[in-house]
Amino acid sequence: MGYLLTRLDEKILSFNKTSKKALVAYLVAGDPDLDSTLELMHGFVSAGVDILEIGVPFTDPIAEGPIIQAAHDRALKNNTSLNNIFQLVERFREKNTDTPIILMGYINTFLANAEALKEAHQSGTDAVLIVDIPGESNLEDLGIKNEHLASISLIAPTTSEDRIGKICNSSSGFIYYVTLRGVTGSSHLNIQEAESNINYIRSQTSLPVFAGFGIKTPDDAFNLSKISDGIVIGSSLVQMIHEQSDQKEYKKIYNYLHEMAEAISR
Amino acid sequence: MNNLTDLPNPDGFFGDYGGKFVPETLMHALKELDEIYAKLKNNPEFIEEIDQDLVQFVGRPSPLYFAKRLTDYYSGPQIWLKREDLNHTGAHKINNTVGQILLAKAMGKKRIIAETGAGQHGVATATVAARLGLECHIYMGAADVKRQSLNVYRIKLLGAKVHAVDSGTATLKDALNEAMRDWVTNIEDTYYIIGSVTGPHPYPMIVRDFNAIVGRELRKQSMEQFMQYPDAIVACVGGGSNAMGIFYPFLEESNVDLIGVEAAGSGLMSGKHAAPLNDGEPGILHGAKSYLMQDENGQVVDTHSISAGLDYPGVGPEHSNLKDSGRANYIAVDDDEVLSSFHLVTKLEGIMPALETAHAFAALEHIAKNYKSNQHVVINVSGRGDKDINTVATMDGISLD
Repeated sequence: MGYLLTRLDEKILSFNKTSKKALVAYLVAGDPDLDSTLELMHGFVSAGVDILEIGVPFTDPIAEGPIIQAAHDRALKNNTSLNNIFQLVERFREKNTDTPIILMGYINTFLANAEALKEAHQSGTDAVLIVDIPGESNLEDLGIKNEHLASISLIAPTTSEDRIGKICNSSSGFIYYVTLRGVTGSSHLNIQEAESNINYIRSQTSLPVFAGFGIKTPDDAFNLSKISDGIVIGSSLVQMIHEQSDQKEYKKIYNYLHEMAEAISR
Repeated sequence: MNNLTDLPNPDGFFGDYGGKFVPETLMHALKELDEIYAKLKNNPEFIEEIDQDLVQFVGRPSPLYFAKRLTDYYSGPQIWLKREDLNHTGAHKINNTVGQILLAKAMGKKRIIAETGAGQHGVATATVAARLGLECHIYMGAADVKRQSLNVYRIKLLGAKVHAVDSGTATLKDALNEAMRDWVTNIEDTYYIIGSVTGPHPYPMIVRDFNAIVGRELRKQSMEQFMQYPDAIVACVGGGSNAMGIFYPFLEESNVDLIGVEAAGSGLMSGKHAAPLNDGEPGILHGAKSYLMQDENGQVVDTHSISAGLDYPGVGPEHSNLKDSGRANYIAVDDDEVLSSFHLVTKLEGIMPALETAHAFAALEHIAKNYKSNQHVVINVSGRGDKDINTVATMDGISLD
């Protein structure tokens, strides 16, 4: 199908070979400012993060809990645009050429920048994750035309079995399993339900399945890593970044990530 | 202009507009709602239950009233008023909630949520929830909680909880965001009664269908009272439910002009308005593609309107399709015109319209001259103005304390 192997695919192949679980970390570009985001991205990687998920701020992020909403608002006050984020990725690639980067956001901002997205892979972006489109959507049909970008889809506890099949067929990179009913940062983790759903997803696809939403502690990370191929951490990082928005002393965050990385390799 | 009546298509699109752009967690609930509505909408018992509620609880049909002094004032067409302001709870919003609460009941949902701007939909939702003894939560922008305090108190009296939303612009769009977050979190036991022809499919269709009783009554009443269909129908458009309800049964009557009136706020040129059909671009917000007020990066921009119910950056997707197809025309009137019109209608007709509705009346200044004295223009009086007394007094520089 003419699909090209991306940095993300290569990373995932290397996990398959070593049975290593992936640690994916989310942060909002431009919160507290783009220079700090760049510093944090490098710091995350040094602390053991395998894949970076960059939140693209939007005025109306309906899938986010209060912590990430507030981060979106702060980033927008700093006028963070998708074009700024492409520049951010380009700067990051000056020192790091192998950590995959996923842009996570809402369809309206991506459509408004559809032209620029055609070039996004050239500045070093590897994938997009659009929260508010049906999982089986084809990005090209929506107007986002770039065959170099993987399209990550979400599957929720409420997704029906027939749609899981369709979503897996239209996804690339990995499947992002939403571990709870709720917005980001909620706390209703249900490990048993997650396990049976992830097993079903695995029966439908050879793509790895990562779990996210509501993972806060090393124990959460450990438990979910046992039943999935990797975990995504977001709200707790965004909260810690915000608490350091004045001092910008990120050591505590890196220690936390280090603990999470250890927990999933136990 | 073919087949406007048969929309949306099975995927929820009206031409280019509509769809289901929501987080994955909601997809199953939308499908469930679509299926149960398809099953129930032609079920005789369901129809009879709604009809009975509309007659005995809402007080339908609402009258079609000849506005003699307003007609004399403009000395143009005969002006008729479709009196949705006389419905129980004071606006057209109850037509939709009476229907949707029965869908909630059929689906076995125990908890009801809704967003509201002016508070009319909040009151209409709290009313039907109270009647069935269901737990009810109303999300309302903190700015709107202030300017519509009377309705906030009504909602509380009806036993519902009001959640003031501080995020973003603290108006209707933010209330919708928060209601959607609640729904994502409580999807199993919660039914979300969306209050306008907005949101993901199937909501724009369901809300239109439940409000279409207004247009169906008008078809009959206009024939009985002036022996023809109206030459024009005028309705205010925020999300656009009262307009869609009265327009829909006339989509195939190409001699009937359909005129939607948006909120020009401080003026279309000022940028401080809520008129996406007049000055917006297609975009995606709250689950549907439609005209939207946004900047070049796809960020939704702040809106302004004197009327909380119209203070919304988007519009129902079916209106976007009616605009592009040319079947309906959309104009905009500013806050000053609306306030003048509010006073004019109150004094001439003894009818105090809601500020939302006053937009439709204010359109007469622009369009009355296009019609002759043997023609008939119908204004949809979508709601009454009691809730707006404080706002009007403030605008007029009068203290009520």
